[in-house]
Amino acid sequence: MSEILFYIGAVMIIIGGICDLFGAIGLLRFPNFYVRLHAATVGTIGGAVVPLFGVALLALGADFLPHRYAIAGASFITGIIVLLAAPAGATALAYAAHKVKLVEWKPKVDHLAEVRGND
Amino acid sequence: MLESTFMTLMKLIIPLYIAAFVIYAVRAFKGPSIPDVILAVDCMSFDIAAFMAILAVYFKSTFLVSGAITLTLWAYLLDIYVAKHLARGEVGA
Repeated sequence: MSEILFYIGAVMIIIGGICDLFGAIGLLRFPNFYVRLHAATVGTIGGAVVPLFGVALLALGADFLPHRYAIAGASFITGIIVLLAAPAGATALAYAAHKVKLVEWKPKVDHLAEVRGND
Repeated sequence: MLESTFMTLMKLIIPLYIAAFVIYAVRAFKGPSIPDVILAVDCMSFDIAAFMAILAVYFKSTFLVSGAITLTLWAYLLDIYVAKHLARGEVGA
């Protein structure tokens, strides 16, 4: 039973590392702040929440750890905090950037402006 | 047996996380506007928190995970304060 929990946690940690690298590459290569928010979501939810839950399962299944229940519970709580805090922070940043017009934004298609122009 | 499997896993995981930290740092130094810098620092803080939880299993120490909780809450506080300063022009309570 403990080996099953250990290997599920190891697979989740590997998935988290790969998502982390992909989110970082997207954050570097995407052209615009509002497009970079998408890569940041991949980097935080896929790259921080999934490996934190994986560490919780892995520490529950690991027999060689001295304080495994403390590590598992604390990393599970950290994962829930990241799951709640990261979208709220990103939404607040996007709201501020759109309100002050800090970011230069050139859309190719804007249907709302076309509808408002025809009215 | 499980411990040697975990050491092999760490050899696979550490280069992925180090490469991600370096690329986030490049965006944080290069970012053309303030929200880009704050977003890159934010992602880097959350990923350092996850990496500290992995290192807590590696070093067999419980105290690293309490540091990860504090780092997560600090990154959220940075987001909210910078957004409020940009939108309202003040950092009220």
